[in-house]
Amino acid sequence: MTTDKIVEVGYGKVARVRIGKGLPLAYIGGPCAIESRDHTFRMAEAIGEICRKLDMPWIFKACYDKDCRSAADSFHGVGLEEGLRILADVRDAFGVPVVSDFSDPAWGPATGEVCDLVQVPAYLCRQTSVLRAAAKTGRPVHLKKGQFMSPWNMKNSVRKLESFGCVGTILADRGTFFGYNMLVNDMTCFPIMARTGCPVCFDATHSIQMPTSMGNVSGGQREFIPALVRAAVACGIQALFMETHDNPPKALSDPNTVLDLKHLEFVLAQAKRVHETRLSLLQEFGEDNVHTGH
Amino acid sequence: MSTPATESRRVADVALGLDRFPVLRPNDLLKTALEQMTAKRLGIVCITDEAGQLQGIFTDGDIRRHLLTVQRPFAAFFSDDIIDHAQRKPTTVSGESSLREALDIMARLQIWDLPVVDGSGRLIGLLHLHPLVEAVLAAPGRA
Repeated sequence: MTTDKIVEVGYGKVARVRIGKGLPLAYIGGPCAIESRDHTFRMAEAIGEICRKLDMPWIFKACYDKDCRSAADSFHGVGLEEGLRILADVRDAFGVPVVSDFSDPAWGPATGEVCDLVQVPAYLCRQTSVLRAAAKTGRPVHLKKGQFMSPWNMKNSVRKLESFGCVGTILADRGTFFGYNMLVNDMTCFPIMARTGCPVCFDATHSIQMPTSMGNVSGGQREFIPALVRAAVACGIQALFMETHDNPPKALSDPNTVLDLKHLEFVLAQAKRVHETRLSLLQEFGEDNVHTGH
Repeated sequence: MSTPATESRRVADVALGLDRFPVLRPNDLLKTALEQMTAKRLGIVCITDEAGQLQGIFTDGDIRRHLLTVQRPFAAFFSDDIIDHAQRKPTTVSGESSLREALDIMARLQIWDLPVVDGSGRLIGLLHLHPLVEAVLAAPGRA
């Protein structure tokens, strides 16, 4: 017994992105990490141009602290203060809402002061202290399903967020562990997680990740991004998350999974088209109702 | 079979109070319902909103039927909101009804429990077959 919720992302002078049932597909994306001010601005400008051309709602994503690296000497990020300053400047310069994840509850208030959407990393999706901090920011929360979690159990995390006063939650799938160093996408997770009433999102670039498969860094099978994106959109997602980089081999974070910027338009255009087709099919044939259960 | 007990005594005289049977909220998990049914040794839970209005019931029979039709792992089934599996418009009885009327309903529907509601649909008790039978048998004139 749930009501489909619409999550509105954006405050102040940036564009408002509304995510939910029947609305245009939203794109959440950017480089995995804030590498530098120049690079972040360059990426925001390039992505913004593509989204404008496609008339696609967009939330810029880049993280200031990558706390889940496989190796201690991997790039960790530019840090909270410098990162949030850059994100705030991106908001002002491009009028785009921004999102960053945070891994430490103490970083929550500062993250929420700048970001329009705050993200909870998959590994921490059931961590009460992080969920509380995310809800207390007063911003909507992008909650990723842990690779170890079943889609139906995500309801517990959603309810934790609600109990802490969260204003809105978007639930994302980023793959599920399939043995060691491998992920698989179960597309039924989208209708299952949608039963919480939350909009659902597909994280395409982390789904093709092969966690820590390269010894001390994660590998990935980028070639499957377009196929999985089309499948996920057809399964009813309302937002698509993809990290992108203008030079993936040189990316300081997730070099084996980020989508090359030169392919972004190609993938987003198809995602948009599949989404629109799905909405028109729903209009023509109605909601899916073929279950034989209760 | 009319007896003085079934004609004169009211359902409210025999019904279990709210603390004697499982009462859950719509968003409680199905797993919680099963635990409560076991703890209270009854084959039914009643589901109410915050104001106490009856929203549905869930019974042993519902579990049996759903296990045969819901082809999902137990872990998923247990995580469902109880209201998703509930009978949303259960038959109810008023506290002022006679035991005779209640017995007739139970016999006709072949059920063991009837939620008792007041005039506004608020749950006030549960009529369970065993206390009902005991009341009838204990009535004057019955052996």
